[in-house]
Amino acid sequence: MTSTLQNSPTTDQEGREPPFSPAIVEGWLQALGKAVRAHQLYLPNNPVYQRAIEQLRANFVALWAETEQLTLAITESELKWEGVVVASEPSKSESLAWLLYQDGLRELTFMRGFEVDELDRLLGLLQRVKRAAPDEDDLVTLLWEQDFINLRYQFVEFVPEGIGEIETGASYGVERQVDMQGSQAADEETAPTPGIVSMKEFDSTVYFLDENELQFVRSALQAEYEENLPRNVLSVLFDLFERQSAEDVRAEIVEILPHLMLHFLAAGDYRAVAYLVRESRHACERAVELDDRQRDALLQVPERLGTAEVLGQLLQTIADATTPPDTAELDALFEVLGGTAMETVLRWTVHLPSGPLRASLERAGTRLAATNVTELVRLIGLPDREIAIEAARRAGELRSPGAAPALGRLLGVDDAAVRLAAAAALAEIASPGALQQLERGVEDPDREVRIVSVRVLGARGHRAALPQLEAQIRGNDMRGADLTEKMAYFEAYGALAGDGAISHLDAALNGRGLFGRREDPETRACAAMALGKIGSPPALEALRKASADKEMIVRNAVQKAVRGGRS
Amino acid sequence: MTQATARPRMQAAPGVAERGGDAFVRQRGRDFLSALYSALRALKLYPPENTVVQKSLFDLQQIGEQFQKREHELEVRASREFIFLNSTRLRLDLENYASFSRILGIFREAGIGLFRLTGEATTRDWTVFLSHLQSAPGAAADDQSAPLMARLAGAGVTCFFVGPPAEVEDDREQSKEAAKRVYAQSVSATKDVISSVRMGQSPNLKKIKRVVQGIVDQILNEETSLLGLTTLRDYDEYTFVHSVNVCIFSVALGRKLGFNRRQLYDLGVAALMHDIGKSRIPLEVLTKPSSLNEEEWLIIQKHPWMGVLTLLGMRGHSDIPYRAMIVAYEHHMKPDLTGYPKPVRPRTMSIFSRIVAVSDGFDAATSRRAYQQDPYSPADALAEMSNNPRRGMDPVIVKAFVSMVGHFPVGTLVILDTFELALVHAANPQPEAISRPTVRIISDSTGNLLFPGHLVELTQRDASGEYTRTIIKLADPNRYGIRVGDYFV
Repeated sequence: MTSTLQNSPTTDQEGREPPFSPAIVEGWLQALGKAVRAHQLYLPNNPVYQRAIEQLRANFVALWAETEQLTLAITESELKWEGVVVASEPSKSESLAWLLYQDGLRELTFMRGFEVDELDRLLGLLQRVKRAAPDEDDLVTLLWEQDFINLRYQFVEFVPEGIGEIETGASYGVERQVDMQGSQAADEETAPTPGIVSMKEFDSTVYFLDENELQFVRSALQAEYEENLPRNVLSVLFDLFERQSAEDVRAEIVEILPHLMLHFLAAGDYRAVAYLVRESRHACERAVELDDRQRDALLQVPERLGTAEVLGQLLQTIADATTPPDTAELDALFEVLGGTAMETVLRWTVHLPSGPLRASLERAGTRLAATNVTELVRLIGLPDREIAIEAARRAGELRSPGAAPALGRLLGVDDAAVRLAAAAALAEIASPGALQQLERGVEDPDREVRIVSVRVLGARGHRAALPQLEAQIRGNDMRGADLTEKMAYFEAYGALAGDGAISHLDAALNGRGLFGRREDPETRACAAMALGKIGSPPALEALRKASADKEMIVRNAVQKAVRGGRS
Repeated sequence: MTQATARPRMQAAPGVAERGGDAFVRQRGRDFLSALYSALRALKLYPPENTVVQKSLFDLQQIGEQFQKREHELEVRASREFIFLNSTRLRLDLENYASFSRILGIFREAGIGLFRLTGEATTRDWTVFLSHLQSAPGAAADDQSAPLMARLAGAGVTCFFVGPPAEVEDDREQSKEAAKRVYAQSVSATKDVISSVRMGQSPNLKKIKRVVQGIVDQILNEETSLLGLTTLRDYDEYTFVHSVNVCIFSVALGRKLGFNRRQLYDLGVAALMHDIGKSRIPLEVLTKPSSLNEEEWLIIQKHPWMGVLTLLGMRGHSDIPYRAMIVAYEHHMKPDLTGYPKPVRPRTMSIFSRIVAVSDGFDAATSRRAYQQDPYSPADALAEMSNNPRRGMDPVIVKAFVSMVGHFPVGTLVILDTFELALVHAANPQPEAISRPTVRIISDSTGNLLFPGHLVELTQRDASGEYTRTIIKLADPNRYGIRVGDYFV
């Protein structure tokens, strides 16, 4: 940017009377400055932003009442119009003049109609340039890309004048003569003469594209702009990694990949991230002459994505995104996560509200749990209740017998919610080992845990739990229980004990105690249902005796039990 | 003939370039030409008082007035197959080719090269002007501008200036200086980038983008001058000059294939950087004067993928030049993915890479390099690219390339049937005249070299309808001690 201007673009205008009052231009520039700041600070729906834009449009109206176009000369600290300083700002940090000047602009011409479609685009460019790092595109480059209709500009050439001048050969200042006839004669001596033009070569139609060829070009161009370029470049890098065994080349690629991953993450290109992770693993499998150090170095790249810090940042970004990525993209990303990511995935699953991200994480969690049981078992054993509960739930969904011991241990913790999750998971698994762990639940302090445990033990015919159940039924603990819990216990008892329980149940249903007193109606109804579970002729006989019982709850239970539990 | 030259919109100070606003001229210029075409058609079909005629004249007058008010001038200039509005060349496309073609025909038949509004034109002025324009005797070989001006004056119409057909020479000289500046800046910026990489520094891609924008503007406006400069073969700065040449050929080819401005820019950036990987090749290999041995050849073959790594090394840039990386990687591949490097994962060679491969192949074959002291002539290179399937260039792209540069590419030395020596200056855009380019006569029939010589169209005919000059033979510039590039500078 060292190009020297021999003349300021408006030097010749200085000293001339402006065609209209500079105050109009000054007012317009002040409004422009406010709009630039508002664009930087507020969203388009913010009233402050909208007021600033309205004010600027109003100033445009005033301006176009006087002229068709407005040309501003730009210096480091001033904007001039017709040689008159219309904006001066010595401080560079907030100066519009400096912002324009520093990128090489020396003159801007606004034309009527600029404010209709192009104002927003220019404000966007100015904002982008304000925030741009030194190596990012400058304003002149960006203005070219925008191809404005109602804005013209002059700028200093990037390459200073005089650099790379093209000179003609020195020999052409003097007259020379070539031997035309001689050369012609020499050519004629050889036959066939090379270079002789054959007119039959000039079938011009051969050299113009036909419709099929034009269609090929159009399709190829369309494909060019639909191509996933980052992914394409990644495929090149992994090809190189596999084919080039040179230490320095592989080291360079391994150094580049994390930067690319970061770039893709920042850009929200999750498919590219997924591809990078997946192909890192493939490249490790396929690369020629790959030593352990190179393999470890490459595998570190995908593994970093699964670490709690990195994945947490990523999920936070996605959760905060105004426009969330589509489900397919998220699934593609989460699909490549390894077992180490499961803890973070489960933690975020718990905290996220329902939505595409949570649904995607749910799917990822299920997949990770299915393929990483050891990690799942580890997570079940973590002191973190949220992780333990979520991990238990996954183990239940997967009916993973390997998780039963860890779930059984959870039944010993103080937190009732954790015990319930463990019981529910064990109930889902329902393997012999899981049912054995679940016996503990029969005497759990928490009603829910007890009910879950008792129901599944009964349903699965886990006779090892019978003594516990019988003790509960025959003891006094059941008296304080509600109907649901009592029913669960009695039904499980009936299912496990069979005919051996009939006498006790018959006594509970039909018998009378001291002073002819019967059991309470709820207990009798539960006994009826238990007899129904047994279903043998003696059990049905016991039920028939109570078919006309005066208590409606008992009568209903009896009828239901006789029908085999159908209401 | 200063009146015939388009005036710049605004005089920029030395070292200052002007951009922007062309989009308006292009957009409204098409509207104006469309209105002009409609008015001409209406006048031809109906009497002037007809409402269709009146309406079309009113539209024309209004659009012209608006344009003039905004741009402070309205000049329509026909030059070869192009129409310029003020100094902007209007783009021909499927929507406007009929009006372009008709207006160019009318200019030719009327024997004029331009008309300019010198004041406000009423519908009557337009009626008179267009009627006189269309009543020309037809196929006027000579300048008819003065008689037409006289007829207009006789009818009381003084708001039009009519100029003679533009001299080819005049036309091209206008953009030659701009092309030279763009070319020199491009070589300088490319040298900066490649040298920076070679020294381990982070190069400045901004310069590359800026110069490519200049190349795209120049190609869109008048590509002949820039294409002419590709004949410069600076032996010492081959890598830089070659990169710029490939960029110019690629952008010009992209334009020929109908790419838009943004696509040309993307293509240009990729083309300019296609050999960036050579900055990692040892200079002793790159500049070895003799044939390369197998080991050295293997080193050279690394430059495509080294280009990818080099471009990826330019970290910190807001937008990673992915497209340039892909072109750098693929430009020595063939569409069937043979060539080098050999890809492992499935891929389809990008059309940008195919274009750059053709441009690269042509420029490399026709340049003198350390290990290629006897390059192909441009015509032989074209023949090789077209006819030798082992070169593996995309046949559609090669076909378009030949169509762009003509059978005799710019810079080809030819002998005419007049025994004059001539350098091909520009391809003929007319399909039926592909063998009749514009040439610069650089020696008379007795062998006296002329510098800078003069341009002639090989489509010129004499009174009997015979072509005045025809190419009969290609010639080797070295044989005559001719430095082709000098004639383009």
